[in-house]
Amino acid sequence: MKKLTLLASAMGLILSTGLAQADTNKLLLTGGVSSITGSAGGGLTPWAVIGTNATESEVGVSAYATRAKTQDYGLTGYGVAVGINNRVEVSLAQQDFDASPTIGLNGVAPFGVRPNQHIKMDVLGLKVKVAGDAVLNSDTWMPQIAVGLEYKDVRPGSLQPVLDFLGTKTSGTDVYVSATKLFLGNGLLVNATLRSTNANQNGLLGFGSGAPGKNSRSLQSEFSVAYLLSKNVAIGAEYRFKPNNLEALGRAAGLGNALAEDDWKDIFIAWAPSKNLSITAAYLDLGRIVAVLNPERRKQTGYYLSAQLAF
Amino acid sequence: MKKIVFSLSLACAALLSAPAMAQTMSTSDALYQSFGQKEGIAKVMDKAVDRWMADPRIQPYFKDTVPQRLKASLTEQVCQLTGGPCVYKGQDMKTAHAAMGVNKGAFNNLVEGLQLAMDEQSIPFTVQNRLLALLAPMNRDIITK
Repeated sequence: MKKLTLLASAMGLILSTGLAQADTNKLLLTGGVSSITGSAGGGLTPWAVIGTNATESEVGVSAYATRAKTQDYGLTGYGVAVGINNRVEVSLAQQDFDASPTIGLNGVAPFGVRPNQHIKMDVLGLKVKVAGDAVLNSDTWMPQIAVGLEYKDVRPGSLQPVLDFLGTKTSGTDVYVSATKLFLGNGLLVNATLRSTNANQNGLLGFGSGAPGKNSRSLQSEFSVAYLLSKNVAIGAEYRFKPNNLEALGRAAGLGNALAEDDWKDIFIAWAPSKNLSITAAYLDLGRIVAVLNPERRKQTGYYLSAQLAF
Repeated sequence: MKKIVFSLSLACAALLSAPAMAQTMSTSDALYQSFGQKEGIAKVMDKAVDRWMADPRIQPYFKDTVPQRLKASLTEQVCQLTGGPCVYKGQDMKTAHAAMGVNKGAFNNLVEGLQLAMDEQSIPFTVQNRLLALLAPMNRDIITK
């Protein structure tokens, strides 16, 4: 409840700053789109760009809603971001993960998982540009560089005993550095992000692990490439390496690779029909997610749709 | 560790491949030809300057500007920049903009006007970007606040 109040007041603040400043002047799509954790970037990974339409000496706001669906799971997310002076970005996001199939975990042990269980996660993001300009300095190799953090708080509901069994905590903080460069002459954008994290499945399965040697942070890299087809349409792909901190627990419990976590991949198209609206569609490959729940231990593939309003 | 090495080499490959393509163009007059030589460039600059003068966001910056002179000067400059047989004799960008107080927002507005002018002249998007890549670094001399 406290969190919702925080989110609501943040939105109020954002709306009022948005009304206070009507003129924001970023070039189209150069603020990226909203990633799943709320920070500006691609879909699955943050970029070094500062979100919203605000450039230097301006304040901008953005809001987004995202829906993703794979064979067994669904994710609904929404959030807001404020961009200040093209230097600082503060974002808030909420994720609602439909984890209904996890009721099957009651067959592994008497966890007491309830039907239609959802996992909810709040993410508070902070990003600061430390150097460079991703767009305009097209004659140099220097990318735009930003550092950021994502504080995540997960509410697993009746899945709490499962997280306890896995020895994972319900909150954690990722720290990352991103470098983004637009090769303007070629219409090609490249991003690389290096993340220090102990999150399982981005935090939806908690943070850390009860498995020996698997509880600590690790460095994970994430890549995006995007090609501009026109001023307002970009296509691209992303690859996000992920830790695999839970598989060992599954093996110890005699479940084989049932808890293995895989890298995330997507191919996407982003379209900005106007300065204030962008729509992103992607095909996702999220690998295995608690694969013990489906007989073939299949990987999760599906679609991703996101809309962002930015001012 | 292996993963990180792999991903770093992936990033390097991506970073290296792009500018190599761009560099092969800069020594020729291919871009100049793509714009339809000096005549084509003049048409784009004519449209761009008209758009800037009519854009309330950046109009004030041009209150002392004689449109015809700016159009002619830009045409010479872009002609030379794209590899054409022109010699730009105007002021350098730093001197020309020293007193104007251009910020990044205004610079971006200017880019938008130029993009629309190029659209209007049916300059292909990839050709537009090659010119913008030559002009964009000038932001360091033009933006003063």
